[in-house]
Order: sequence, then C-alpha cells, then structure tokens
Amino acid sequence: MSRFSRRDFLMTTAGAALASRLSGPAFAATEAPKRGGTLLATWGGFEPQSLFVPPGGGSSPYFTSTKVIERLVRLTVDLKFEPVLAVDIKPAEDFRSYLIKLREGVTWHDGQPFTADDVVFNVLEYWKPISAGVSLDALDSAEAVDPLTVLLKFKAPVPEFFLKSVLAGKSGLVIPKHIYAGSNIITNPINNTPIGTGPFKVKEWVRGSHVEYLRNEKYWNPSLPYLDRLVIRWWQDPASRSAAFEANQLDIGVFNPVPMPDVPRLTSGGKFIAETKGYSNSAWITTIEFNQRRDIFKKREVRQALMQAIDRQFISDTIFFGRAHPSIGAIPSSNAIFFTKDVQDYPFDPKKAAKMLDGAGYPVKSGSRFGLNLVSAGWFEENVKIGQYLKQAFEDIDITVDLAVPDRATSLKRIYSDYDYDVAVSNNSGSIELIPSTTQYYTTDGIVKGAAFRNATGYSNPKLDEIVAKMAVETDEPKRIALGKDFDRLVALEAPLLPMVDLEPVTIARSDVRNHSTTADFMGESWAELWLDR
Amino acid sequence: MRRIVLRRLAQIIPLVLAVIVLNFVLIHLAPGSLFDVMTSEQQITDPAMLDQLRHTYGVDQPTGVQLAKYIWSVMRLDLGFSYRQNAPVLDVIMDQLPATLILMLAAIAVALVIGMTAGVLASVRVNTIWDNLISLAAVFFFAAPSFWLGIMMVVLFSVKLGWFPVGGMRTIGVNNGVIGDALDVMHHLVLPATALGLFYAATYARVMRASMLEVFRLDFVRTARAKGLSRARVVLVHVMRNALLPIVTLLGLQLGTILGGSVVIESVFSWPGIGSLLFDSVMSRNFPMVLGVLVLGSLLVAVANAAVDLAYLRLDPRIRAR
Repeated sequence: MSRFSRRDFLMTTAGAALASRLSGPAFAATEAPKRGGTLLATWGGFEPQSLFVPPGGGSSPYFTSTKVIERLVRLTVDLKFEPVLAVDIKPAEDFRSYLIKLREGVTWHDGQPFTADDVVFNVLEYWKPISAGVSLDALDSAEAVDPLTVLLKFKAPVPEFFLKSVLAGKSGLVIPKHIYAGSNIITNPINNTPIGTGPFKVKEWVRGSHVEYLRNEKYWNPSLPYLDRLVIRWWQDPASRSAAFEANQLDIGVFNPVPMPDVPRLTSGGKFIAETKGYSNSAWITTIEFNQRRDIFKKREVRQALMQAIDRQFISDTIFFGRAHPSIGAIPSSNAIFFTKDVQDYPFDPKKAAKMLDGAGYPVKSGSRFGLNLVSAGWFEENVKIGQYLKQAFEDIDITVDLAVPDRATSLKRIYSDYDYDVAVSNNSGSIELIPSTTQYYTTDGIVKGAAFRNATGYSNPKLDEIVAKMAVETDEPKRIALGKDFDRLVALEAPLLPMVDLEPVTIARSDVRNHSTTADFMGESWAELWLDR
Repeated sequence: MRRIVLRRLAQIIPLVLAVIVLNFVLIHLAPGSLFDVMTSEQQITDPAMLDQLRHTYGVDQPTGVQLAKYIWSVMRLDLGFSYRQNAPVLDVIMDQLPATLILMLAAIAVALVIGMTAGVLASVRVNTIWDNLISLAAVFFFAAPSFWLGIMMVVLFSVKLGWFPVGGMRTIGVNNGVIGDALDVMHHLVLPATALGLFYAATYARVMRASMLEVFRLDFVRTARAKGLSRARVVLVHVMRNALLPIVTLLGLQLGTILGGSVVIESVFSWPGIGSLLFDSVMSRNFPMVLGVLVLGSLLVAVANAAVDLAYLRLDPRIRAR
C-alpha cells in the first residue's frame, strides 16, 4: 500500500467515524468528499499580533500560520504519527541519530522546491535556537545526506516518541530557507504574509477583521485541499460569534467560540455540532501553585490540605458550566499514553483539611490559621471566578486570603518574574509528550526567573529530577511510559503545583462541515482534508 | 482668524510632548512590560535569547534614554517599530485608521442628526408627551450599555430579520467595483453606527433641548415673533443658530476622541478599528503603539479645537469682537 492511500484511508475512516456519530449509523460511511466552497472560521480568542510568530506567540498565530506552514509529521486524534513533509523518520540502533526521508515534489508557495537544505536550516537556525529550545538540547548536528534525506545526530539517546512529538508539535513548523536565511527570523516582515508548503496560501490580511486564504493549486497532494477558500475572522465578543453562527455567517469556531450557556441552544436544533476531540495534544488545565519560597508552603501537609479544601467538581460544574472536570494527578486525562488514575487524589473534604492543618502546626488562633496572598491570573474570565471561589473555600477552613486578579502583564510579572505570590492560579496547555511541557513545571531546571509558564514555585526534588532525566533518554517505549507514571505519582503526592481541573474545550461547527477534527491538536490542523457537504 | 489657527497650532508641540512623557511614564509604572508579555507568549527561556531580544526591543537601555530616543524619532515624524505586530507603528495605525474614521464620523453624524432633531422637537413641544418621550429615550440610550444595545440589534436585525450582516466591514472576497464596495461598507456600517450614534445622540438631544429653551426666553426671539415671522423661521434661524454653540463645543470634544474608536462597539461588530488595537496594546504594554495612537490623537485634538474656534466665529460674530 502506498503512503498516499494509507493516509487517505485513515482520513476517510476518521471522517466516517465522525459522521456516523453525528448523524446515526444510517449515514453513509463511504461518502465521497466534495470539492470547493469557502469555509468561514474563527476561534475563541483574539486576532494574532502577526500571522506567524516564529517562537510561538500563543494560540492565535499558531491557528493562522498552520494553514500555510506544515510540519514533517503530524499526530492524529488516535495518537499515531502520520507523514506530512517527511515520509519516514527512522532512528539508528542506538537512538543517537535519526534519518529523515522527505517527500518528493513539494514546492514552496513561491515555486521554489522544498529540499533537505530547508530542513537543515530549520533544525539549526530556527527550531534549536528559537522555537524548540530545551527540547533539542541533545542535538549535535544536522546534515543533508542527499536532496531528500536529512541526518540528525544527538549527543545522547533520544526516544522516538519524544522526537516525533517535537517535530509534530508547535515548534516543528518548517519555514523556507531561501526567504529566511541571513535575516532575523523573528522580525522578518514575511511573518505577516507567511510562505510555506501548506494547502492554503495567504491572500490578504485585513488587520482587525479577517485573513483570507486561497487554495494552493500546486499542493503536493493534488487532490487536496478540498476547499477553494478559507477565511478566518475574529470577533472579540463571544455573544457576537453565536449570532454569526445563527445568521449563517460562520461555519466553524474552535476553542470555545461561544459563551458556554449558548452551546446547548446552538446544538439542539441539529444545525450545529459541538466537538471535543482534537485538543489532547494541547490539553488546557487550570493549575494551583504553592510558592515554595514561603515557609508555610514548604510543608507538604499544608499543600495537601489546601488541595482537599477545594471543591473541584463545583469549579467544573458552576464556573465552567460542565465544560471541565476535576483533574487526577498532574497529567490531563485526555493524555491516553501517560495518564494514570493510580495517584494520590484529593477529594473535597474541608474537615480533613482543617485537621491536617491543625496537625501541621497551624491551629486557629484568634479566628485565623494564617494569611496568604492569592494571585489568580486574569487572562481567562473563569480565573476571576475561581479566585473568588478559592478565597471563600480557604476562608471556610479559617485561612485569611488576600485575593488579587491582575491583568495579563501584571499576572505574568507577579507569578513568573517576581514570584510575588503565596498561592497562584494559572493555566497551561501541555502536549501528550511530557518533556518538557509538563515536566518543566516541577524540575529544578524548570526554574528560570522571568520565563513564563515554567516552574515558578521553586520546587526542587532530586528524586524527581532523576526520574525526568531517565525519561529523557529512555528509548524503550513501555519503560518510558512507566517512568512517566512514576513522575505523575510523585508530583501528585508532593503537590507543589497541581491541575485543579482539566478543561474540555469545544469546537462548534455547522453539521455540513466534514472531516474537521482529525489531528490531536486542532488549533494547528491544516484543514486540507476538511470539506463542505453543500 | 489666522491668529486663532496659529495659536492653536503652536499648542501642538507642548501638547504632544506632554502626551508622550506622561503616557511613557504611566505605561512604565504599570506592572509588567512588553518584553515580559512577548517572551511569555513566545515561551522563550534561553537566557542568551532573552538578552538578544532585550537588545532588539531596546529595553536594555535606561528608561530615560528610551524616552529621549522616542521623542527624537517622533520629531523626525517616525513613530517607531512595533515588535508585537512586527511592522512599523504608522503602518499598523494607517491600516486601521480608515475603518475607525468611517465608523466614528458616521456615528457622530447619526448622533448630530437624531440628537439635534430630537432636541429641537422636545424644546418646541416642551412639557408635552413628545418632550417626555424624547427625554425618556435619551435617558434610555444613554444608560443602556452599548454592547448590550449592539448585541440586541444584531439579534433582531441580523439573526431574526436577516437585513444586515452580523459584523465586519466588507463582504469578504466579493469585488463589486468602487460603488459596489462603498454600498457594501455602508450596509455593514448601519448597525454599528446606529448603536454608537444613539448613545451620543442622547447627549446631543439633552444639550440641544436645554440650550433651545434658554434661547427661547431671550428678547430677540420675542422681537422676531412680534415682527410676524413664521414659527418655523423663528425656530430654525433665530433660536437654533444661537442654540448651536454648546453643540459645537460638544462636537469638538467628541471629534478629538474619534481616533480612540470605540472598543466596545468594535468588538461586538468585529469592526476593524483602532479601539481594539489600542486595547491590545495597553494590555500587552506595547508602548510604541499606544504612544503612536496618542500622538496622532493629540494632533487631531489640536486640529479639532482650531476648527471649533473657527465654527464659533461663523456662528456667533460677537466672538470676533472680543
């Protein structure tokens, strides 16, 4: 079976599974995709600062750039790697080098051929220094063996799943060497009209309104993309997005496009569907962090007691309208590879929490056990409410709480630069692979003052560092997964920082939009296989 | 007249300087910096990379030097470079300026027409049911949050009736030539301009009514009536013209603010204006962009003030005598 047909086969089965779930088994599973049409899309956030932000830049530029710029491989919803620009990635026996075979006949949007030189440039000049950072620390060299083969050499063994995750992840976008070579990649003006190998070409970006893409007629897979045109538009107001759906002026919105209470109303008529697939490789959680620089929170019993004082089911049901669930351990339950239930859990039990605090040496004295500064990062609306809820919950066990919900810039500074908090509420989105996106919140080398979304608690445990270090070089997959679970068990017990709830982001799509949730990271899907049944 | 224009223009330089210094200081006093926001969004942790970016953004220099450099570049009519948008500040502003101007001018036009008509009507029929209804409407539109009004209008006119688009400024990807394009923009403009205009109209109606009633009591109005002039002529030519001065003052103040746009209306109607740009820039502490908008805004305030002064002269020749 050629690679094309395997890919197409996977696509159709994924689409069929989706279709049958939506419309019942009577729906024909062998439906042929239709060509043509314009897709009007949006997401539950703001316009990006630039269509492509080379170091990352958050979800919005990731959403707009991945329609244009592709990666070597991609991770499907059932967590299998599929070829995109690379047709094969093969480790050597010792896992210290990898041979990457590239796809033939791929051209950039400006007509230049895509070759091994491009990939070498990306590895050395873009991924290692700018986007992937510590993930490629072990990289020694990259060289083009022939125009379609690249050899990567590493200083230490690199697990296959890890490397492929990096290549399929947010940092693995492949940019053209002939455009970026010799320039500052981060400030190159081309980032506002990016050029890639992807299924769509940027036609026009009207700042403040929308970006329009046209079908790439020379896409390496001649039958794709199915769409003629793709328009991503931004509404800042979720209620306006609901109205746009209802007025037929919007086809699909990813990452919670509409207010939660609107979801049942929109989907009840059958005209729209709510899809929760496709977020596992970018799983959002709301975390609580205990600053280890404070003597009170150096005591594990105190951290555990506070975890037990929080009714996380209440947060899920009331604050997130049921679009979240209490977390178990440090790894989101959507992570089918590393998630385990076999960890220390913290069910809601304020009486036990109070007893634990008594035992830890913090009895109630003149109405209060101790006071704490709670900083809830104000970048999500829900964090305002979570902050207020936590204040009440902690006050119920006689802790005096001083709550602050600062804006984005201030929250970043207080939590990650100044460490100016006792307890913080923050968020992050981790990939399936735990290193580094999850582990860097706990390991000692994750402490980088001024660098956001890292270990800001100051927690340092040699035993934990050792597990992660072993995991980084363990190439045997089952052993590696076992190490991941050891990691989870240890941090769940220690609780320097733990997720309170796993968010369940939802995609809203018109029911005639097909094949839209096929990869594990939906914000970054190219939508080449998406089609409209009109 | 020339003296007025010159005097106003001479105020621009200290005004712009004050705007720059004040806002530069304010934005640096706010916790967090553009550098923090950018590096956290980009997930950069490598210390060498952080240093390189600090240098690129120019934040490795003392604040005083940064300020002096900024003032020097503004003097050379260069508003600087926004690393967040990865484009020169002026280009980004100019991209969004037309949309803002169209929306704000249309809204002010709606406000003037509706507000003045309502005000005149209320004053002519003072203490009747008309007057009460107009006052009630004015209070309502002034008090109703404009995002609520906007969403309600969208629900009624776009979702239920389907008369107008839900948002945006143009139908995407349609090419109808210049006239078709203008009609298309006007079609998109109706709801946001009305939602915003009704809010301003409330003020105009109240001010117009009060000012009209005051002029009605003056002696020359009695004389005009005694001369046997028609009621319409008395109201329109004698009373209204004299009642216009406070409206012109209000208009001048409002013209000065149009560059800021309306964050709320822009976000409800996804209008590609400057309001949302300014909001994002403040939130990300992107001071070159904030200062760029404010510098252009202060120029506009100065020009609007000069225009208002000239309008006073035209409306009330007595001012010249003073």
